[in-house]
Amino acid sequence: MSETEPERDRELEALLALSRRGRAKLERLHEILTTPGHYGTGASPAAVVYRENKLRLLRLLDESGKPRSGPPVLFVPAPVSRYFILDLLPGRSFAGHVGAAGFDVYIADFGTPSREDRFADLEYYVDGLVRRSVRTVCALTGESRVNIVGYCLGGTLSLLYAALYPDTVKRLVLLTTTVDGDVEGGISWVAHKMGLAGESYDEPRLVPAVEVKSWFEMLSPGSNSLTSRVSDLWDRLDDAPERLRDVRTMATWVDDVVPAPGRLLAELYKKFGPGRNGLMAGTATIGDRVLDFAAVSMPVLAVSAEKDTISPPAGVDAIVKIVPQAEVMRLQGGHVGIVAGRAAAALWKRTVEFLGSGGVSG
Amino acid sequence: MAEEKPSPDPTVVERWLAEQQQWQRTVATYIDSLAKNDEFLVHLGNAMRGSLLAGKPYPTQPPPGAASPQTQADDRLDQVLFTLHKIEGQIEDLRLTLDDLGARKGKKKGKSGKRKDRG
Repeated sequence: MSETEPERDRELEALLALSRRGRAKLERLHEILTTPGHYGTGASPAAVVYRENKLRLLRLLDESGKPRSGPPVLFVPAPVSRYFILDLLPGRSFAGHVGAAGFDVYIADFGTPSREDRFADLEYYVDGLVRRSVRTVCALTGESRVNIVGYCLGGTLSLLYAALYPDTVKRLVLLTTTVDGDVEGGISWVAHKMGLAGESYDEPRLVPAVEVKSWFEMLSPGSNSLTSRVSDLWDRLDDAPERLRDVRTMATWVDDVVPAPGRLLAELYKKFGPGRNGLMAGTATIGDRVLDFAAVSMPVLAVSAEKDTISPPAGVDAIVKIVPQAEVMRLQGGHVGIVAGRAAAALWKRTVEFLGSGGVSG
Repeated sequence: MAEEKPSPDPTVVERWLAEQQQWQRTVATYIDSLAKNDEFLVHLGNAMRGSLLAGKPYPTQPPPGAASPQTQADDRLDQVLFTLHKIEGQIEDLRLTLDDLGARKGKKKGKSGKRKDRG
């Protein structure tokens, strides 16, 4: 049976619409790819006030280029990802928001480890880089105690630091920080279930960025297949360019992971992972020192995210079992969304309130 | 005065031809960007992997055997380098302690000076 002319025209019209839509997507993609993007730096003006190995301690500056004089707040991000998620974009910067509220904000940028840094362990980070960052902040401000905001693994480092040196911490905020390693989900639990051999403490390697990335991808089904990623991007190209620029900024954080020191990962897994669960069991150590969480007597705010696949909320909320005075707050959203997504304002507001309870006037 | 005739709507075939020309222009902008902007190729390569990552290539697994084998000498050198980083930290600790002592001494001097002025 031959096609009638109106039928053929309808088919051609449909194909024409499809062609126009595909072309519009490609034109939008070209516009996004040729617009200067976010290249992995923080959004807020900052001065480097301390350097050690790959660490840069940044101090945020105000609009006139001067440091603020309010109470000091040190942000500690995870050393296995880029720091700038805490200072993403003007208007979408957690650290910038806290600074604008009058606090003197510092961010520890752990940088990108080199091959020799594969020997870095918990003691190097907690009793070395974090402790000297706190000392520098104290020296610059004349304060004896600082507020600390730790994110993800940076929260673990901050909690361990607070247990070692409680007299130097005024208030502690732990964002999506796993405390109970036996809770199902999360990176170490997935590694445990998959029977991965894990990293060697004695003969560590620098774990390549692509491997670190693959662990995160294991936790979000679908994101690890090329086909699904391309199809997802193709669908997104219907969005407005402003929205796509946001997606690009986030991709520049999510897809640009850093290699990880194998010794640090081996130690974290061996001490705090499933089955050992040293934070909950009270067997946590730094070097040869046993940690006593009863020493963490300062006010603590722990924030979990309802849809967090990296640090499942139950494992975060368990902080109250070892630090009973901790206030637990659970937010809607995922691991990254609550810090830098569109719903992050709730976290920023509560953090400023919590830190401000100790006084913002300095 | 004779009325101007409204131009008839283009036929489907005419619109298809116009669309083909638009495609040619779109492809030309890509070729132009590839020729003029070195980073565009990296960004386009990332997009073809489903990522809008800017500034650097999407992380990929190096081909087997691409990494240079590490010798015992490399390993020792890395250990020495890392030990140097640890010493760097200890020196910074010493500097911070000296600064702290200096600041305290300054404060004490200031206080005793004030007392003398008053006395």
